[in-house]
Amino acid sequence: MAAAATSRWLGFRCRLCLKLRGQRASPCGQIPCCRFYSGSATLPKVEGTNITGIEEVVIPRKKTWDKVAVLQALASTVSRDPTAAPYAFQDDPYLIPASSMESRLFLLAKKSGENAAKFIINLHPKYFQKDIAEPHIPCLMPEYFEPQIEDISEAALKERIKLKKVKASVDMFDQLLQAGTTVSLETSNSLLDLLCYYGDREPSTDNHFQQSGKSEELEEDTGENDKKSKKADDQFGVTWRAKNNAERIFALIPEKNSYSYCTMIRGMVKHRALVQALNLYAELLNNRLKADVYTFNALIEATALNMNEKSEDKWNNILELLKQMAAQKVKPNLQTFNTILKCLRRFQAFGRLPALQTFREMKAIGIEPSLATYHHVIQLFYHHENPSKGSSRIIYDIMNEITGQKFTPKDPDDDMFFQSAMRVCSFLRDLELAYQVHGLLNTGDNWKFIGPDHRRNFYYSKFFSLLCLMEQIDVTLKWYKDLVPSVFFPRSQTLIDLLQALDVANRLEVIPQIWKDSKEYGHTFRSDLKEEILMLMARDQHPPELQVAFADCAADIKSTYESQDARQTAPDWPANSLNCIAVLFLRAGRTQEAWKMLGLFRKHNKIPGNKLLNEFMDSAKASNSPAQAIEVVKLAGAFSLPICEGLTQRVMADFAISQEQKEALGNLTSLTSDSDSDSDSDISEGI
Amino acid sequence: MLPRVSAVRPLRPLARFPLCSGGSEAPAAATVLLGAPHATARTKNNVQRYFGTNNTICSKKDEQPASMHEISKETESQESVKENTKKDLLGIIKGMKIELSTVNVQTTKPSSTRQLKSVEATINKLQKAPGDAPKKRTKSLSPELVAAASAIADFLPFDKQTTKSELLRQLQQHEEVSKAQKNGGRAKISVSNIISDMKVAKSATIRVSTRPVHQIQFDEGSDDYMSQKTSDVKKSLRKNMLKGKRLNIFDLKAVTEETSETETTPSLWDIEFAKQLAAVNEQPLQNGFAEMIQWTKDGKLWEFPINNEAASRRLTLMLLGKGVLFLGVSHAMPVSEPNTENDKMTCPVFIALLPSAVFFIYVKN
Repeated sequence: MAAAATSRWLGFRCRLCLKLRGQRASPCGQIPCCRFYSGSATLPKVEGTNITGIEEVVIPRKKTWDKVAVLQALASTVSRDPTAAPYAFQDDPYLIPASSMESRLFLLAKKSGENAAKFIINLHPKYFQKDIAEPHIPCLMPEYFEPQIEDISEAALKERIKLKKVKASVDMFDQLLQAGTTVSLETSNSLLDLLCYYGDREPSTDNHFQQSGKSEELEEDTGENDKKSKKADDQFGVTWRAKNNAERIFALIPEKNSYSYCTMIRGMVKHRALVQALNLYAELLNNRLKADVYTFNALIEATALNMNEKSEDKWNNILELLKQMAAQKVKPNLQTFNTILKCLRRFQAFGRLPALQTFREMKAIGIEPSLATYHHVIQLFYHHENPSKGSSRIIYDIMNEITGQKFTPKDPDDDMFFQSAMRVCSFLRDLELAYQVHGLLNTGDNWKFIGPDHRRNFYYSKFFSLLCLMEQIDVTLKWYKDLVPSVFFPRSQTLIDLLQALDVANRLEVIPQIWKDSKEYGHTFRSDLKEEILMLMARDQHPPELQVAFADCAADIKSTYESQDARQTAPDWPANSLNCIAVLFLRAGRTQEAWKMLGLFRKHNKIPGNKLLNEFMDSAKASNSPAQAIEVVKLAGAFSLPICEGLTQRVMADFAISQEQKEALGNLTSLTSDSDSDSDSDISEGI
Repeated sequence: MLPRVSAVRPLRPLARFPLCSGGSEAPAAATVLLGAPHATARTKNNVQRYFGTNNTICSKKDEQPASMHEISKETESQESVKENTKKDLLGIIKGMKIELSTVNVQTTKPSSTRQLKSVEATINKLQKAPGDAPKKRTKSLSPELVAAASAIADFLPFDKQTTKSELLRQLQQHEEVSKAQKNGGRAKISVSNIISDMKVAKSATIRVSTRPVHQIQFDEGSDDYMSQKTSDVKKSLRKNMLKGKRLNIFDLKAVTEETSETETTPSLWDIEFAKQLAAVNEQPLQNGFAEMIQWTKDGKLWEFPINNEAASRRLTLMLLGKGVLFLGVSHAMPVSEPNTENDKMTCPVFIALLPSAVFFIYVKN
């Protein structure tokens, strides 16, 4: 704002100077024009007689400040701190979330505290009358939800309608009719509004923070249909009953105007009484009335949702409705086109061409698409895309079109766009496009359209997985540092993607850090993640200091398995993990612990791998202890492994062993060769 | 090769032969173009420069229908050229005719007829002995094409050998592409691509023909555009989602015209819809200032230029969390003890925004 004022002032100065220069140039001929400012101050004296030119000086008007202008300017100077939890959380170590579950829990707790306080205040308004604030702060005072007017009058009816008391309003209306009072059309219509909007049911108490039960969407977008049906259940759980109060009152109104019809139609469509809605529209036309644009939008929806028709017929019906709109000179709005596009999504492949035509139509008549429009188009073109078919490239058009735009909310579905665009990027494996989408998200206030928590998580998971797949590891790690955990908490699959990226780029030394993070973000008991980590660490030989770090990490993972044992819920140790942990211990020189691991193999009836046994043999050789070597052979013998013989030969060759030991070995080998047949039964017994 | 030529002698073609030839150069343009869309980006751009010249030359053809006739005859005579190559050529020539109507016509020396004859002679000669082109490059090209290429190379005011080899290379590329297209059955692409390129060339030509001195910088401009276009070439081939048939139900005029809508009180539907919209971009607050904005909107916080008339002479004190303290006093009154000299009091307004930045604003009554 200050900048604007400055520029205006400068503009003013410049105008002045130009004017002055013009005057000065004529008598003096050529004057270097670089120093207007110093010259202008003295000019009136020089020119003396010719002051008339300056009379146009306009003193800038007093600037009226918006009440939040200063705060907005200050807020714009604060950027996100990637090292801190989002501001919404309490700045207290105990209350900073460490996992997505915790973050949801904390936000819900905060919101439910507010709701509870409000509930108590509204329940007992008489105890909260003391108004200490000056000036008065209305939002801190209790709201009155009980009707105050007791007598039977239209005013009382109006009050009940305003308080959204459905049943009380209907009763009041009936009483008024019985008393012979006529209710004005306006009031009747607003009563109809109330009845139609809530489907003749009491509205549920306003609970804005209904996030429970939505977490399952998080996993995959294919659940969109389920989600929709679920949402439909929530929103349209109230179905339209025939002969309900709305229909009754509608019939009772003597002189219905078009608004009465319209609100009835909208209510019927909202509560899925589609056939009745279409019939009522015919009735409206018969009465020579005109529907408004909202009603047409509802009718379009009704047409598309109608079960018993083919896509093509439905589309023709929609076109018919649009033609009627044009004929009745009803202007379509953004909702009209978004509704059409949303409905076209149901037609799947058939809907693509009509969708494009619809989109062009709305552009042609100058209706600016909202994010929801693009969302519907993307969903239509990429919904059940299988990678083998050539994929549509419409997303590039869309992104070229909207890059750099700043959006304002215009449609309730606006917050779905970024999620679906990022899904397509991930599907197309196009990192450049993903950056473009992310750039759009960070343009202006567009970030607000990322939607609720689960949608943000989805978006960033997809984005980060794509980064892991396509981007250089250093850049990926930079993003990791920037986004995790201040923007989202990674899922275990996201971390596995990151591990694979680290593997590809040969940067395995970061793994212990990743394990630490994943423990923090609540993936301690994810065995797939743990197995991936152990596998990557144990696969190759590394320099000693790295091996030490890996062994520490392995010990930590081992301890999680042990605590898991204590919980008795999770499945027991996978053989791979045991192998990897033992190998890591051996390589780091923690022989004692490695030998203990062998004990665990016995305990859990897992079979050590050949590679592991060879490594044990190596370590026995390194410490030059034949006893250990024989122990390894014994173990192999106990499991009746085919490698037993090879190990025995190795012991014979590599170690200086005593006669006794030799005999023991001889026994072992003979035992294995003898008991080949029973070995199976042994193992099965053990199991 | 082309970049080098233009670097060494950037202005010569136009300086020396501003609009040197007649229609006989049209095949040159056509042939070059056949290769153009599938050549590398760099080459294509450079070809485009020539095309700029050639297209201007085409403007001559309007005045000389005879030479135009020559071209088509010549085109037809190249019988051994593959079928769809010919189709492409015809497509190009058709396209050029369309372009012609808008190109500025400039007068030049009427030297074209003579030159045309000489070119024809060259072509005939070359058709008899086409063997001197590099063998490995021309293996898939017909001798006629090679001959035509060398004739064009002769005609162009640059290094003959390099021009010719470049032309041949591009021809061969095109040959491969058109083969591939036959297999894929997408012959349309190259034609439409060529024509779409011609449009670009045209705009460059107009500028070039009016102000040839600035040719280089303009060429740079068209280069940028072209390279961008090349990278997007696949995209531009598709139908743009914005262009194409629409429903044609609504009329722009009818929709945009203002209607006097009677102001009505918002219905329940409107209110609920507005609530839904507000929920769409509702996000947790990002920082303390955002929270203060929220409070201001809720009316819990004093508005910032402080309006002393907003309340009677009472003190408003608010302690906000997270180290943000806002203390607004109107017509001051200490918190602790009542003051009898209300009117003479100073009004301190403390806004302690951050621990490091504390502002004191004193307002005298």
